[in-house]
Amino acid sequence: MGTQLLLGNDAIALGMVQNGCQVVTAYPGTPSSEILAGVVKFKKKLNCDVYTEWSASEKVAFEVALAASWSGLRSATAMKQVGLNVAADPMFSAAYTGVVGGFVIVPCDDPGPISSQTEQDSRLLGLTAKVPVFDPSTPAESLAMVKEALELSERHRIPVILRPTTRVCHAVQSVEVDGGGRGAWSPAAKPGFKKDPQRWAATPGFRLKLHHELNAKLAAIESEFEKSALNYQLPIPNDKNGKLGIIASGVAYQTTRQALADLGAVAPVLKIGTPFPLPRKLIMDFVAQFERVLVIEEPDACIELQIPDRTRVSGRLDGTVPNAGELSPEVVMSVLAEALDQMGVPVPPPPDDSALAGIVQSLKITPRRPRLCPGCSHRSAMFTMKQVFGPNAIYPGDIGCYSLGTNIRAIDTFVDMGAAVTMATGFYQAARFTGDKRPIVALIGDSTFLHSGITPLVNAVHTGARFVLLILDNHTTAMTGAQPTPANDYAADGGLAAKIPIINVAQACGVKFVRVADPYDHEPFATLLREAQAFTQAEEGGIAVIIADRPCVLYDRAPIEADPLPVIVTEQCDGCRYCVEAFECPALVLRPDKSRVDVDYRICVDCGQCIDACYKGFIVPQN
Amino acid sequence: MERKLIIAGIGGQGVVYATKVLSQAAMARGGHVLASENHGMSQRGGSVMSHLKIDSGEAPLIRRGTADALIAFDRVEAVRNLPFLRSGGQVCVNSVDGLDPAVMPRLGELGIRVHTINADACAKDLGAPAVANLVVLGFAATLGALGLSVEDLKEAVRALGPAKAVELNLKALEAGAGLAERLALGD
Repeated sequence: MGTQLLLGNDAIALGMVQNGCQVVTAYPGTPSSEILAGVVKFKKKLNCDVYTEWSASEKVAFEVALAASWSGLRSATAMKQVGLNVAADPMFSAAYTGVVGGFVIVPCDDPGPISSQTEQDSRLLGLTAKVPVFDPSTPAESLAMVKEALELSERHRIPVILRPTTRVCHAVQSVEVDGGGRGAWSPAAKPGFKKDPQRWAATPGFRLKLHHELNAKLAAIESEFEKSALNYQLPIPNDKNGKLGIIASGVAYQTTRQALADLGAVAPVLKIGTPFPLPRKLIMDFVAQFERVLVIEEPDACIELQIPDRTRVSGRLDGTVPNAGELSPEVVMSVLAEALDQMGVPVPPPPDDSALAGIVQSLKITPRRPRLCPGCSHRSAMFTMKQVFGPNAIYPGDIGCYSLGTNIRAIDTFVDMGAAVTMATGFYQAARFTGDKRPIVALIGDSTFLHSGITPLVNAVHTGARFVLLILDNHTTAMTGAQPTPANDYAADGGLAAKIPIINVAQACGVKFVRVADPYDHEPFATLLREAQAFTQAEEGGIAVIIADRPCVLYDRAPIEADPLPVIVTEQCDGCRYCVEAFECPALVLRPDKSRVDVDYRICVDCGQCIDACYKGFIVPQN
Repeated sequence: MERKLIIAGIGGQGVVYATKVLSQAAMARGGHVLASENHGMSQRGGSVMSHLKIDSGEAPLIRRGTADALIAFDRVEAVRNLPFLRSGGQVCVNSVDGLDPAVMPRLGELGIRVHTINADACAKDLGAPAVANLVVLGFAATLGALGLSVEDLKEAVRALGPAKAVELNLKALEAGAGLAERLALGD
């Protein structure tokens, strides 16, 4: 292939295909979503037979790939970091049972967080579950580490985590790539699941034995890591320092090297590519050479935590490195400058980058916040919902584009995948004690409902909870780039898949009131919402489910193109801002002098939905 | 040749594609490329920016105060990202009236030059508002802000395809380059 521009996630995907993974599964989530798409791309390009699946959830993805490994095949599963929480249950168990074919778990961490609910460190989940972890710092290194991880997994029959962060996943690098795919690979002469109930179906008695076995594996792996080329120290000419040493991993390693170069400072840096199990002898031998050692890692303290003697060690645990937020070049630079200064190592003061920052700050420019797209059906559904239920109703929300509904106060809570349904259930039960009479209207997307909404809905019906559940069905997993859900009739690689209609699922959960409606039809949709609320109050009533059915405009423009409704804002517009604040379409723009609103026709999609957003009637059809 | 570029705009303006064109062009010239992109929210109309480092190590992000040039498809996003620039750096911005006047004196003191192009109008003339990003790139390349020539960018556009978009994309690059040449002639 020669030199290629590779996205970090593509590098990971290429590594999976070239190293013979035959089953790869994932649930979409930023920053991990491009990995499975990359596997689909490379399996076609390299003509390799790989089963790819957008699974219904991360737990499903994990277990499907695990069974492939137990069948002797190489397999992998990818997800965002919080997805590994969902898949933690099988991971903890699989650490004990072990694996057969190489099995790599790729949870993508998100320091910042840039697009996640937490900054959690998947390496620490690996440590807790006793699963070895590789920590790449660039796309090129990710490609190489997939191979190392698969081989380690096979050698020790243990699941292995490859943990990239956003700045690896979404970095594009020119990478030297060797051509061709290795094709199918299997460690056993004859692959296939081999029965071994004391392992694969181990009861607690056998589990203790497996735990001892796991500990022995980790000890052997730590010895290997002591000598691994993934943990190294670049030679430094004229090192007269001897005072400060640095241990770094992942992107923070690269940022540290750059910052040292920018400071014109020399300090030995030990790069750790295998943060768990930590090669403790290597680390302590390094620490012993210096008066003080700084550990720089993201997003939390994993290496630092495992260092047996931290007397001379500083990092995130003692606050020398900030214990929250991304380790940006500016942060790393200031941490290093201060540490070097304290050790009496002369460094020039860091270059002043505040010259322009101050002036820009004084202009009070805040980042433009993301908003729902022009024509988004979620906006229409939420706008009508707010009109019907008012500002006081309780709106538990969920994970997806519609979380942007917080902008227009259509979402009051989000916790994790599926929590709209469970939080609504809890609010209902709590209201019986608090006397709260406010309507409860929960919102959840199609993919999120199929991921983690079904069990909560069964639970809510079973326990007699009453609320309106709005399932915002835009026929795709929109936020992460339009991956199919089980309600679609196509699979990850474009092949056919069996469609599971959401209406059938809701009915099968025992819901007696299930209706499907197009949120673009403002009045009928409002009427239906009122009927749903009445059902939750009726003697024989219960939970009411409304499926707001309209495809995402980004990925299916056909319905709008078939029936466009271009609008104008009339001369009478008085700039009252109601539409801008309550409807918040990016194509409705308040003039800088606030005199009136104009339509930005460059981005307007002619959906005509804003006609209902002006109660004064100043937004009208063009014809 | 070491080069650090910041590319900024709003979701939908093609920041990621512009970064791809620049990365491809730099790689074709034998440069080591490392670019950091925004994903996820970028199609939702929020602020989007990318860092592009050519022959400049393995750290993904550009530290504030060190970028050689800022390429911006939106006037406000340009101002917001000014702190990335080093003294003597350049700004190429899609705008009808340059940058906020409040920042200009300080930019002058730091020797930062600002080049303004009405790329939206230019792209509209080409019948394709979406190619404003390439108009700005053609403009910036001609002014020497990228360390890459318009020819380099054209080669990259051809390599990236798709075939049906190439002709229009090349026209957009040329239109931007033409405006830069007229600017240089003081027209």
